[in-house]
Amino acid sequence: MTTTRRASRSTVLGTALRIGATLLVLSPVALTAAAPQQDRTRALEQMLRRFDKNLDGKIDPDEYQRAPRSFRRFDRNGDGFISREDLKPADEAAAPARPTTEQRPPTEEEVEFFETRVRPVLAEACYSCHAETSPRIRARLKVDSVAALLEGGVSGPALVPGDVDGSALIEAVRYEDLTFAMPPSGKLDDDQIRDLERWVAMGAPWPEGPEPSMTMVSVRDSAGGESLEREIDMEEAREFWSFQPVTRPKAPRIDGDRWSWTEVDRFLRAAMDEEGVRPVGDADRLTWLRRVTFDLTGLAPTPEEQKAFERDRSSDAHEKVVDRLLASTAFGERFGRHWLDVARFAESSGMDSNVLYPHAWRYRDFVVDAMNEDMPFNEFLKKQLAGDLLEASGPNERAENLVATGYLALGPKSHNSRDPREFSLNLVDEQIDAMSQGMLGLTVSCARCHDHKFDPIPIEDYYALAGIFLSTETHFGTYPGPGNNHTAELLPLPDGADLPNGPRLTPEIQRTLEQLVQRLEPEPAPPMSGGSGMQRGQMSADERAAARRERLQGQQVAMLKDLLSRFDEDGRALDGNRLTMGAADGTTRDIAVLRRGELNQPGEVVERGIPEVFDHAIEIGEGSGRLGLASWVASEENPLTARVWVNRIWLHLFGSGIVRTPDNFGSGGQRPDHPELLDWLAAELMDSGWSTKSLIRELVLSHAYRLDSEHSTSNHRVDPDVVTLWRMPDRRLEAEAIRDAILQAAGELDRSRPEGSRVGMVEGVLQREQLAELLTSEQPVRSVYLPNLRGATIDALGVFDAPDAATVEGDREETSVATQALFMMNNEVVLQASDAMATRLLAFDGTERERITLAYRLALGRDPSSSETTGISRFLKQYEELTPQPEPAPARQRRGRRRTRPSARPDSSRLTPSSPEHAAWAAFAQSLFQTAEFRTLY
Amino acid sequence: MNPFSHPSRRDALRMLSSGFGMLALNGIAASQARQLASAALPGRAKRVIFLCMTGAPSHVDTFDHKPMLTKRDGASLSGFRRGAKLMGSPWAFKPGGKSGLMISELLPEIGKQADHLCLLHGMHTDVPAHAQATTKLHTGSFQFVRPSMGAWTLYGLGTENKNLPGFVTLNPPRNQGGAQNYGSSFLPATVQGMPIKVSGGRRGRRAQDPVADIRNPRQSEKQQRAQLDLLKDLNKANARRRKGSDDIDAVIESYELAFRMQSELPELLDITKEKKRTLEAYGIGGAETDAFGRQCLIARHLAEAGVRFIEVGMGGWDHHRNLREDLPAKCREIDKPIAALLADLARSGMLEETLVVWSGEFGRTPYAQNGDGRDHNNRGFTSWMAGGGVKGGFSYGATDENGIEAVEGRLSIHDWHATILHVMGLDHEALTYPYAGRNFRLTDVHGEVARDILA
Repeated sequence: MTTTRRASRSTVLGTALRIGATLLVLSPVALTAAAPQQDRTRALEQMLRRFDKNLDGKIDPDEYQRAPRSFRRFDRNGDGFISREDLKPADEAAAPARPTTEQRPPTEEEVEFFETRVRPVLAEACYSCHAETSPRIRARLKVDSVAALLEGGVSGPALVPGDVDGSALIEAVRYEDLTFAMPPSGKLDDDQIRDLERWVAMGAPWPEGPEPSMTMVSVRDSAGGESLEREIDMEEAREFWSFQPVTRPKAPRIDGDRWSWTEVDRFLRAAMDEEGVRPVGDADRLTWLRRVTFDLTGLAPTPEEQKAFERDRSSDAHEKVVDRLLASTAFGERFGRHWLDVARFAESSGMDSNVLYPHAWRYRDFVVDAMNEDMPFNEFLKKQLAGDLLEASGPNERAENLVATGYLALGPKSHNSRDPREFSLNLVDEQIDAMSQGMLGLTVSCARCHDHKFDPIPIEDYYALAGIFLSTETHFGTYPGPGNNHTAELLPLPDGADLPNGPRLTPEIQRTLEQLVQRLEPEPAPPMSGGSGMQRGQMSADERAAARRERLQGQQVAMLKDLLSRFDEDGRALDGNRLTMGAADGTTRDIAVLRRGELNQPGEVVERGIPEVFDHAIEIGEGSGRLGLASWVASEENPLTARVWVNRIWLHLFGSGIVRTPDNFGSGGQRPDHPELLDWLAAELMDSGWSTKSLIRELVLSHAYRLDSEHSTSNHRVDPDVVTLWRMPDRRLEAEAIRDAILQAAGELDRSRPEGSRVGMVEGVLQREQLAELLTSEQPVRSVYLPNLRGATIDALGVFDAPDAATVEGDREETSVATQALFMMNNEVVLQASDAMATRLLAFDGTERERITLAYRLALGRDPSSSETTGISRFLKQYEELTPQPEPAPARQRRGRRRTRPSARPDSSRLTPSSPEHAAWAAFAQSLFQTAEFRTLY
Repeated sequence: MNPFSHPSRRDALRMLSSGFGMLALNGIAASQARQLASAALPGRAKRVIFLCMTGAPSHVDTFDHKPMLTKRDGASLSGFRRGAKLMGSPWAFKPGGKSGLMISELLPEIGKQADHLCLLHGMHTDVPAHAQATTKLHTGSFQFVRPSMGAWTLYGLGTENKNLPGFVTLNPPRNQGGAQNYGSSFLPATVQGMPIKVSGGRRGRRAQDPVADIRNPRQSEKQQRAQLDLLKDLNKANARRRKGSDDIDAVIESYELAFRMQSELPELLDITKEKKRTLEAYGIGGAETDAFGRQCLIARHLAEAGVRFIEVGMGGWDHHRNLREDLPAKCREIDKPIAALLADLARSGMLEETLVVWSGEFGRTPYAQNGDGRDHNNRGFTSWMAGGGVKGGFSYGATDENGIEAVEGRLSIHDWHATILHVMGLDHEALTYPYAGRNFRLTDVHGEVARDILA
């Protein structure tokens, strides 16, 4: 049994899980008398590492900076230092007087007080770990009898009858020293603490007689496989395909194979031969051009690019296209967006209160730029996990490294939750989930409450990773206020880094913000009638409500003023806005396993580390261990990282992954269709220095990628899912590509990158619909740069299955529902683009036939057939006849009237009134957007 | 006809738009028709309203009365989950209706409808993880992408109203399997569920217009028809160029359906014409009940209009902590609306041919978590059915006396699916679809109909 490998068995009392800045690894309680020598030594070494700042081997009271009382307890020989001297056996040290065990029988009042005020508290708060009946007695301490309290546990006697301040029990429940605070589930009520103090002061009266018994109910274990408790055989688990080292298999050679051009082709051809299918013919040039242009840039080939490629008959014409596309900035916008799906990127927290993350866009830009620079993929990952800990060559790289760690900070969070420990644990859980699924294709989060159901991830491994992330500070920003109980500072960017300050406030938003400040800013407070010494309890309900309102308004005003202070009066972002979400190392701590995820049942403490199944004896090193983790993720020894990434690339070029569950390479996922090919690609990626672009180049220049998408009945019968890629599967374009292509065909798409994001103009909670609508209203930039708000996905993107960033989404849904048709028929974005495209077509100096051809080139990347042209001609005439001449003035009046009726049609004021000719061309343009062909890559 | 050949989506469409009977008359897709016809049973229900409670409601605090658990409150478990402490339901159970089914005081209004309910106490599922179990609940599989039960039902029975989608899902969650839960997978894309957003009146977005873009702001119907005719021609030309590319048919059909929906759907989603009394009964306008009340009322409209499978979603049942406060609040959100829906359907006689199903993806542990919460429990939980074809005021199956594990009348998700299909008049073993060389079923190779609950 290997699961307790890194469990340290001592000092469980000290593992009381304290999130916040104060969790200690091993508690100093182990230092005190009753603990075994070995534990005491370890505990002391831990304390020295933590507190002995001057490294003299002794901790003086200044270094200790904690409750003096606990200092005195650890300084057992009373020499004014906590040092190795204190480890000497108790009789050598000037031990405190042992408490007397003589007890007088309690009085009736004392019994009643004990039974009503003390025993229930002890039973409720302590017995689960500190009683004879506890499933595990923690820290060898029992509190179910006075004798047991006097005997104490690893930290010595828990009770000195009559001495309130000298009793460890009281010290623990007072929660003064957070390394010695009990119960772990949270501080007792003040009344309860007072009762315990009073009881100790009374001399700790405890009535005779047995503890009222607790029933033990036997519940039969479920049959075999259903039980969640199981032992993991690591040796056997390592045999699983995805944990095996990446090899570099040789591509099969087939005699007389003239079809294959590349190694990739040879793997696929062999698979086809084995299945008995034959590859279909090649796609025509324009089909291939449209395919590769969308795949690499998310945009359609322009009519000029189409012409140039048709004319270029040189033998390397395809290579030239691929190199041009890989070099364009649109490449990063396309593949960057793919990574953003995996990184569950969004600019608000989602969950209950949906707090905005106005600086998240810097991470978005980092991803796009990294893809464009072809940053080695392992370095790309490393920066995201631990960029803050990496060496940087200058301010630019330093800034990039910090921004990259935004990855850890921008996941979904429940800012409204009340329990800070729960918030931290959920934050860490989300980080583990994103990292393990996104980078490793493992669902490690499943092991939060119990050993993983399918994969060799014991619960200890989860908490080993959680320790790394709990030793990390996550800087996600935001302000306190209604709906937000959890905030963190943002990281300032280094001076001299060449980065934009942020978006420019639109006048509308700036005005709104300023007005809000004015409205909320309190009048100078009139003197309160009751005077300032008034007790809280004496305030009336109204007064309390007013005070609360005032406090909340104060918070809002402070937030808005701080926001406005980062912009000048013209709305330009100032240097003060050079902030990023990100991560930094915090206090290093190992944490205890929480079975069933329960906070109040801490188990054994586990050392920070990587999952045991990866048997590389990786040292995670100093600090949080995040750098060690990142280096391991980025390592060539890691069997998963390269496989998972090449599979994602494959998915985006061939429609589905070689592993069809791209976020799950565990046994709950599917096995690779072509294991050897997958390994070959992974090896190729690593050999190229983790160059994403080289691998993509290799793939899109393969013969497999050149194939047509035509059907073949005989092949279909054998391989209906096109596993062997005997043809190019049809793929529906993603939401972003559909929207961008519509705007592009209309001539409306602004290809430049906006500075920042609209979300960067605001702060606070996204609760008001107007705000969401303001932020998500149409903006003619590429979709990747539109606001990405959880729970408020832009309609044009949401309707075609853009992800909500709730979790890693490596393979998007692909639905085909009538809501999409409604969007394409009636949505204003589509109607406006249709108008613009009609204007563009009518501005083109040519015949009707030439205009129709231009429309086809723009929208579908090919020429229309003559029957298509004829049909369209006929349609244009017919539609013109159905369209009345516009009557501008009355039309406006009519709209005005309509607006007052509740059942008004959508506001069409932004749509240009059309001549019948223009309306007909717009309807035709819209039809092109609506075709199956427009949204499909063949 | 080759038995392995893939029926084209066009064939499937024709079957769907005409339903079973028409299918045979039209003499199309012989093998497929035969296959479907062989699945036909004399069913009682014509449609399903599935009230899907994601997050997993606690069965021992709602529909599974456990007096022994209450007695043992605070006791520690040995064996499985050693050390965990049992927590009796903090709420009392009361007999409801003439049948006296025991239902929690948290659901007083549903309690009054007890005589319609058929409680299934023996439910169990594979995995205590939300996403997997939710996908399993909807599709019968959590490892593979498979058609949802709504899609299977629609595929088997066709639609009754060609102007509406045959499978509608109101406010489906984006996570927990997302679109897979209403997806068609290898079945024709046209049997996929259509998601409709219904928002509460206050916080809601476009409360007037639950389906975005349901109207064109400037085209007349004639103009739009002409445009869609052009679109159809263009798509057909494309289908000829790419012979065999099935998605084109689905796109054509989605536009035709959208066009027809424009006239019919807004009316169904409009609740303003309802009587004040009805709105009140459903809790519409109530602070806690407005959102779900709207969904339930719209579900009734859709059922009346002939939608085959309607799913109504309510999440937020994942009470790991703060159970004493949060569970009552959640129950209040659904209690009135569901009771009103049942009463409404019963009054109009529609309940006899409508199967109402209520279920979470699993249940919760009878032992406490975090002192005031309950953990996931896949080993035993309760769902219920009401209406067409099942016994009312009936209780079937049981968990052990603590409520941990289903011990009597055990129903796996496959059994549950088989039973739903059976009530709908479909033989789950005969309702198959050929894909990748074999015939697939909703119930895979499992499933047994719970015959004891059939009326």
